[in-house]
Amino acid sequence: MFEMIGGWLQRPNYIAFVLLFLWGIYIMVTRYNLVKKLIGMYLMQTSVIFFLVTTSAKRGATVPILLSTTETVQPEVYANPLPHVLTLTAIVVGVATLGVSLALADAIYKKYGSLDEEEILKRLE
Amino acid sequence: MTRHLPAILFLLPLSLAIGLPLIGIKHREWCRPLSIGVLGAMVPVSFANLVGVLQSGTIHYDFGGWAAPVGIEWVADGLSSVMTVALSLVGLVCITFLSSALFPYLGSRIVPFYTLVLLLIASLTGMVFAGDLFNLFVFLEVSALCAYALVGLGGGKALVAGFRYLILGTFGASLYLLGVGYLYAETGTLNMADLAQRVPPLVTSKALAVGVLFMFIGLGIKMALVPLHGWLPDAYTYAPDRVSPILASLVTKVALYGWIRIMFWVLGAQAVVYQIPILFLVGLLGALAALVGAFLALSQVEIKRMFAYGGLSHIGLILVGISLGNQTGFVGGVFYLLNDAVMQAGLFFWAGAIIHLYGVRTIEDLGRSQGGAGWMSVALVVIALSMIGIPPTGGFFGKWYIILGAVEAQNYLAIGAVLIATLLTLAYFVKVFERVFRDRSAQQSPLIREIPLAVQIGLGATSVAVIVLGLMSDHIVNFLLKNAVPPGL
Repeated sequence: MFEMIGGWLQRPNYIAFVLLFLWGIYIMVTRYNLVKKLIGMYLMQTSVIFFLVTTSAKRGATVPILLSTTETVQPEVYANPLPHVLTLTAIVVGVATLGVSLALADAIYKKYGSLDEEEILKRLE
Repeated sequence: MTRHLPAILFLLPLSLAIGLPLIGIKHREWCRPLSIGVLGAMVPVSFANLVGVLQSGTIHYDFGGWAAPVGIEWVADGLSSVMTVALSLVGLVCITFLSSALFPYLGSRIVPFYTLVLLLIASLTGMVFAGDLFNLFVFLEVSALCAYALVGLGGGKALVAGFRYLILGTFGASLYLLGVGYLYAETGTLNMADLAQRVPPLVTSKALAVGVLFMFIGLGIKMALVPLHGWLPDAYTYAPDRVSPILASLVTKVALYGWIRIMFWVLGAQAVVYQIPILFLVGLLGALAALVGAFLALSQVEIKRMFAYGGLSHIGLILVGISLGNQTGFVGGVFYLLNDAVMQAGLFFWAGAIIHLYGVRTIEDLGRSQGGAGWMSVALVVIALSMIGIPPTGGFFGKWYIILGAVEAQNYLAIGAVLIATLLTLAYFVKVFERVFRDRSAQQSPLIREIPLAVQIGLGATSVAVIVLGLMSDHIVNFLLKNAVPPGL
C-alpha cells in the first residue's frame, strides 16, 4: 500500500492530471450556471493536454532540432516532439469548441434572459 | 491521378466551405447551386475512387510526402471507399432537401447553413479516410463542432439541446483524446497500421486496456450508444427540420464507423481485456441499445423524437452485427449501416415535410395529414417497411445477414435482440400507420403550400434507394465480403 502511494508520489504530474480531470467533470456536473459548466469543460480539456505533455517530458532533454546534417542522431537527448504537436492541435480544437459554446451560451442568454440551467428549463416548459 | 482521389474528395466540399462565406457576401443565391454542384461532383469522384481502389488495391495517401508511420496517412480501402460513396450520395440528397422551398426563407443565415453542412461533409470524409488515431480525433471534433452549430441554428429549445450536445460531445472527445494519449504512451505510434503491429504483444497492458476503454466510451457518446445517448433525442428533435436528416443519417454512423476501424483494424477482432473479448462486450451493449432504443421510441409522442429513438436502436443493431466475430455478421452490420443512413435520411425528410406542409408535430395529430399526398404515404410505407425489416427492402437483408451471422456464431442472445427489436419497431410504426391511415375522425388540415420538388426528390430517392439496396443486397454483400472484410476475421 505505502509502496503504491510512494510510487504515485514519484509522478506528481499524473496526480495533478487526474485531479484536474475529475475537478473539471465535477464542475460540469454540479454547477447550474452554463458559463461555469464551460469552465469545467475547459479545465477537463486542458487536463488532457497536460497529460499529453507530461508523457513526453524528459529530464535534461533538448529541442529536437539537428544542428548539422552530419551529426548522428541520439534520440535520448531530445524531447519527443510528437505529443507537443498533438497538444497544439488539441489546444486549437479546444479553443474552437469554447468559441462555439460561448456563442451558444450567449444565444441562450439572449433568448431566455438567464444562464441558470434550472431557470432555463423552467422557461422551456 | 487515382492516387489523389481521396484528397480531392475531401478538398471539394472543404474548399467551397471556405469560399462560400466570401461568395455569400455578394451573391447569396449562389450558395444553393454551388453546394449542390460540389456534392454532385463528389458522387462521380467517390465512384472513381472506389473503382480505382478495386483495380489497384488500397490507396495509402501520405500527406506532404512523409511516409506512413512518421507522416499522416489516409487509407482508402474497400470499406472506406464504399462509405464515401454512401456519404456523398446521402449528402447530395440531404443538401438538395436542405434547400427546398418547404422551409421558411433564411435570409442572410443561408450562408452559415451551407458552410456548416459542407464543412460537416468534408470532415466526415476525413474521418472515413483517416488512417491515424489523432487525425480521426481532429475530424471527429470538426464534424461535432459543425453539428453543434447546426443544431443551435434552430433557435429556442434547439439552443439548449445544442448546448447539452456540446457539453456531452466535448466530454466524449476528451475521453477519446485521453485514450489516444494512453495508446501513444504505450506503443509510441498513432498510425493505425503501425499500431496493429504493436498492439498484440501488449494484450496484458493495463494502460492499453484503459486507453481502449476511454476511446470506446468517447466514441460511444458520439455515436449515441444507449446509456450514453442523452444528448441525441433533444438535439435531433429541436434541430432545424432541414438539417436533422443530415445529422441523423451521417454523424452518428460515421462515429460508429470510426469505432469499427479501431476495433478491427487496430485491436483485431480477437482482442481481449482481462480475458473478456471486447467484441462480446460491444455485442452486449449493442443488444441493450437495440432493445432500449426501440422501446423508448414506442412511448414517444413527437414524430421526430420517435424517429431519433428508432435511430438509437439501429445503432445497437449495427453493433450487434459487427460484434458477432464472423464475416457474415460483420458484412451484415456494415450493410445495415449503409441502409440505416438512407432510412434515417428518408424518415427525417418525411417528418420535415409533414411538419412544414401540414403543421403536424405529434403522432396524435398525424391523422390530420392523412399521411400527406399519396406518394408521400408510399414513401413512408416503403421506408417504414425497411426500418421494420420486411422484404424486399434493404433493412430486411441487413437484419437477415446479421441473424445468419448470429446463427453461425451460435449467439442466441443476438438473435433474440434483433427479433425483439424488430417487433418493437413494428409496434411503433403500427402506431404511426394507425394515425396516418385509420384515423378518419380528425379533420384534415389543408395543405399549407405546394409540395416542393426537392421534397419529392428526397423522399423518392431514399425510398427507391431502400428498395434498390434490398434487390441488390446479394451483390452488395458479396462485394463487401470480397473487399471490405477486416484482416483476421
